Amino acid sequence: MASSGAFRGVGAFSYTEFYVQAHEYLSIATSLVVQVILLIFVRILAPDLLGVALLGSILFSVFALGQRVQNEAAYIRIDHKLNELYLASPLAPESYFVGFSVGILAAYLLPIAALVVATVLLVGMTAFTAAVLVAAAAAIWVITCSIGYIVSTLFRDMRAIWPYASLFYNLFGVLPPVFYPIGLLSGSLRTAALLVPPSAAAAIVQWSVHPSVLAPGELLLAALALAVESVALFALGVVWSRRSARES
Amino acid sequence: MADLALRAENVRKVYDRRGAPPTTALQGVSLVVRPGERVALLGRNGAGKTTFLKIAATLLAPTSGSVEVFGVDVDRRPEEVRPLIAVVPQEGKPFFHLTPREQVYTYLLARGFARAEAKRRTDDALAQMALEEVADRLSVTLSGGQRQRTMVATVIATEAPLLFLDEPTIGMDPFARRAVWASLRTLSKKGSTILLTTHYLDEAEALSDRLYIIEHGKVLVDGTAQSLKRDTGGSLRVSIAGGAGLSGSFASFGRTFPEAGALDVITTPERLPELLAVAVRLGLSTTVGPVTLEEAFLRVVGRSIDEDT
Repeated sequence: MASSGAFRGVGAFSYTEFYVQAHEYLSIATSLVVQVILLIFVRILAPDLLGVALLGSILFSVFALGQRVQNEAAYIRIDHKLNELYLASPLAPESYFVGFSVGILAAYLLPIAALVVATVLLVGMTAFTAAVLVAAAAAIWVITCSIGYIVSTLFRDMRAIWPYASLFYNLFGVLPPVFYPIGLLSGSLRTAALLVPPSAAAAIVQWSVHPSVLAPGELLLAALALAVESVALFALGVVWSRRSARES
Repeated sequence: MADLALRAENVRKVYDRRGAPPTTALQGVSLVVRPGERVALLGRNGAGKTTFLKIAATLLAPTSGSVEVFGVDVDRRPEEVRPLIAVVPQEGKPFFHLTPREQVYTYLLARGFARAEAKRRTDDALAQMALEEVADRLSVTLSGGQRQRTMVATVIATEAPLLFLDEPTIGMDPFARRAVWASLRTLSKKGSTILLTTHYLDEAEALSDRLYIIEHGKVLVDGTAQSLKRDTGGSLRVSIAGGAGLSGSFASFGRTFPEAGALDVITTPERLPELLAVAVRLGLSTTVGPVTLEEAFLRVVGRSIDEDT
């Protein structure tokens, strides 16, 4: 039987979810369509921004994992009722939440890695930028999966989720400076962009390539925002997963 | 181990959801299930069976009252209850992109079983549910009955001390249903306790040691299939063709019910010869059979509906 304690069973449920996702190879293979089309446009229209767009596409791909967590967790709960099977078991509720996140990340690592390889080959990447990119992507992953899981528990109908998901992930993943330089914004818009997770992460990664794009205060603001948001949202995700394991 | 596998005391549940008027699903349900027992919850759609099962399985908070599983309060200490239970959800489906073998195996891993033990139990459960031939096909390609068998296999493989099965054989053919019954009997012999809901009354009769009938969120009857049938007034049902208007002639033999132009009389074996003689004298043809649990259920629940109105 399972050992007791928080996060018990997380490895096994991550493995389950990875297995489920791995069977859906067409979804994995097509997960880069939007990013690749955007990159082609950038390559043609503004080739000097290709580096920014490539790094942005990596972060956007990680950000989009939250939408996959949201859809998968909602589908499994609403259509398959499998949440009842897993939550009425020794598996810890937070392991159910983290398992979705880890399993989906593992399944989609290959296309994300393909973008990293393309970036290295096309524009190059220093070890420092690689390290900053991994840290920023990790924060984005924690934030987006936490939001995705929490939102998945709020709806009783799959169709009701789709418009909100589309709005949320385009509003925060495409509109702010993720695919384009933070330097194009100024004033309060620039400050707001440094608080929004995907653009904060993109700004930090852009800074790792060109330190002049952010003032020291702005770098601190973006880093703090990402750190606080990731810790707070992960904690909320854990608490929420425990609370929502039992309906009221 | 506690004296009772499950004890529910005056459980009430009121759903108060935004945009909908409050709905009372349970109005003080009290019941007990002893270790090793197989108990069926019967009732019409919306009677409150699934609500009760979800509360007992730590998936839903009660409005008031208490439920204990092996002496542990499900509301206060759900994390201690969960290792003791396993649930087949109503209308649950396996992961479509896992095979039955992967579904059962990975679920056992998630419950904490070691790989070798999980593999052994998976093979055994798939064999019990006669799923070997489709064990390595994705569930999305399986029939509804095969998917349901996969769900049951997933749960019986756990051999958890208390199993909750919400309509476990829905959509299954008669052979598959009997395979499930056999597995559940084997499990209870090994010591597992089983609480199931079903609309198949032959299943409740074949499988359960005791049953509860729930109606409008209240326990209407607590007993056995035999006692419930006995309470209808006899062990035999005599159906008299064309006798719907002759209940006065047969009322002395037992309870009479007009049924689609015929008259059904619930009677005892002792009164049967006399009743048949009257029918022959009146030139009426008769069919004699045992009282079924379904008839007893319809009488009990029907009486409750009549009393309510």
